[in-house]
Amino acid sequence: MNSKEEILKRLAADGMPESPYPEMDFVPQRFEAREAVFAERLEAAGGRAVRMQPGETLDGVIRRCYPEARRIASTLPGVTLATVDPDAVEDPRELVDVDLGVVRGSFGVAENGAVWIAQDIRHKALYFGATALMIVIPQDALVDTMHEAVVRPEVDDFGYGCFMSGPSKTADIEQALVFGAHGPMSVTVVLRGEN
Amino acid sequence: MSTHSQSAKRFVADAERLAWHDRALYAVREKRDRMMATVPEWESLRRLSSELKLHTLSHLGDYLCEFERNATANGMTVHWASDAAELNETVWGLIRAHGGRRLVKSKSMLSEECGLTPYLEARGVEAVESDLGERIMQLLHLPPSHIVLPAIAVRREEVGALFERELGTEAGNSDPTYLTHAARRALRPKFLDADISMTGVNFAVASTGALAVCTNEGNADLGTSFADLHIAILGIEKVIPDMKALGVFTRLLARSGTGQAVTTYTSLYRRPAPGREIHVILVDNGRSEWLADARHRNMLKCLRCGACMNTCPVYRRSGGYSYSYFIPGPLGINLGMLRSAERHHGNVSACSLCYSCSGVCPAKIDLGEQIYEWRQQLDELGLADRTKKLMVKGMDFVMGGPPRFYGAIALGRVAGKLPRWMLENGLNPWSAPGRAMPPFAPRSFNAGWKKEERK
Repeated sequence: MNSKEEILKRLAADGMPESPYPEMDFVPQRFEAREAVFAERLEAAGGRAVRMQPGETLDGVIRRCYPEARRIASTLPGVTLATVDPDAVEDPRELVDVDLGVVRGSFGVAENGAVWIAQDIRHKALYFGATALMIVIPQDALVDTMHEAVVRPEVDDFGYGCFMSGPSKTADIEQALVFGAHGPMSVTVVLRGEN
Repeated sequence: MSTHSQSAKRFVADAERLAWHDRALYAVREKRDRMMATVPEWESLRRLSSELKLHTLSHLGDYLCEFERNATANGMTVHWASDAAELNETVWGLIRAHGGRRLVKSKSMLSEECGLTPYLEARGVEAVESDLGERIMQLLHLPPSHIVLPAIAVRREEVGALFERELGTEAGNSDPTYLTHAARRALRPKFLDADISMTGVNFAVASTGALAVCTNEGNADLGTSFADLHIAILGIEKVIPDMKALGVFTRLLARSGTGQAVTTYTSLYRRPAPGREIHVILVDNGRSEWLADARHRNMLKCLRCGACMNTCPVYRRSGGYSYSYFIPGPLGINLGMLRSAERHHGNVSACSLCYSCSGVCPAKIDLGEQIYEWRQQLDELGLADRTKKLMVKGMDFVMGGPPRFYGAIALGRVAGKLPRWMLENGLNPWSAPGRAMPPFAPRSFNAGWKKEERK
């Protein structure tokens, strides 16, 4: 008998009484000012949310939020400031320590300031290796809680995906909060309206 | 004196460190409380989470098979390991087949449980911990003292001195930001040059065959971004039915553990990137037997958030190394007893039965109640303390009737008049340094009551 069979045999004999799949017997919280809550919780996680102003371009937001960024990697149409095409790079190591990555997110979650990113670029290294990350989501793509988030169609089919809430962080030295443990030091979520 | 209080002596001797440890962990507990207050349905969520875990455990074999089927269809390879030795051998087999000696790893309590890192090191594989706290402990050659905050017992000056020695940071600089960014720079090449990445798994979703990995630092995701082999290891109790369940658990995990609304990264690995491989190892190592123990199977509902440690008054004041099991606190007391009651029963004394752990557990595990239950089982396990058993027999006799009882009280009053050195010494189990024996009241409550009545 191999290990799988052994484990399954032991589990079959565990004598545990049947427990049914539980129904959700409550209504999860709702936020009237969803965008404001999203922005506030993202800020609490060390990130920030910015709204694209009428007439503003993605380049404009980049310059507004990251005026110092020189090496910018993006595949998004409209980012003419990009100096690196991350999909043209063979070795993901080349994307490490670029000043800014500008990437597409699907939607945000108000209760925790997270954004769902379903990988649509060649190397996910950009999400974690860039010094700063700008995630662009449609302005009205916000849900209240994780209950709604995990059943969204964008979370139904993907190879790699991530709920990302603010920049990389740690408090492993005396509980002092430090941003930029390994991943981005700064994260900005851009709420993009119809311009 | 229990083995726990013996081992706690060193930690307790440093009053300043103890006070800091106590305050720092309680602050995390308070952050958890503030998070809880932002979710009106908190208690309903805990109940749902508990019921989801119970349901999953009662169908664990089915869900494991469903996960295997879907993960395989997604292009992952699933392995099963009965025990620690088989996990280690499977990992070693994968490394040999793949080639390479450099492994970058993110936090996994399972690898601690199975002794994976020393096993690999003995075979010439460098397994670098990439979580900052874990890396600090690795460089200190010490095990983590908390499951979520591995370096909570290490002070910033000690990290400064360690990094000065190991990473060449400035002498005397113990600023957390400076030290964290020094570690970031030092670990960059370990990520980029790794041949293999290894991660733990927080949740394995059966219905989609996806692995959920939660971190704050992004170390797991950075690790899996370069190496073309990703080995993911998990205990069999980490499988969950579906995405709806993931929604419930991700609302509770970080709020309970660190007082964050969610971990920075909740990553879902579903299909390996082109040209890459993901190998998943499902590890039993005792769990299927624990599940058969009706009194203690609830322990397998654990999400590994660490809330029970943060709230535990004994853990906060005695530190992780006072426990004989590698997982400390209420969780570790219970898991240690399941692993080996004989080796770890000393830990059951490290509990005031305040049940605060049960009150904060996001899966509603009755941790405190189970510690009480273990104490009741000590006698049948042949592990009860002989002195205590003798005392209980004595009490049984003394309390067997009023004359014996009042006689004993009279004797106690006489004993109370004995010189201190005769009372406060090692022969008296109630006596301890810094603790004075309380004086007996001049007369018993009963005697006083009768006197009042006569008036």
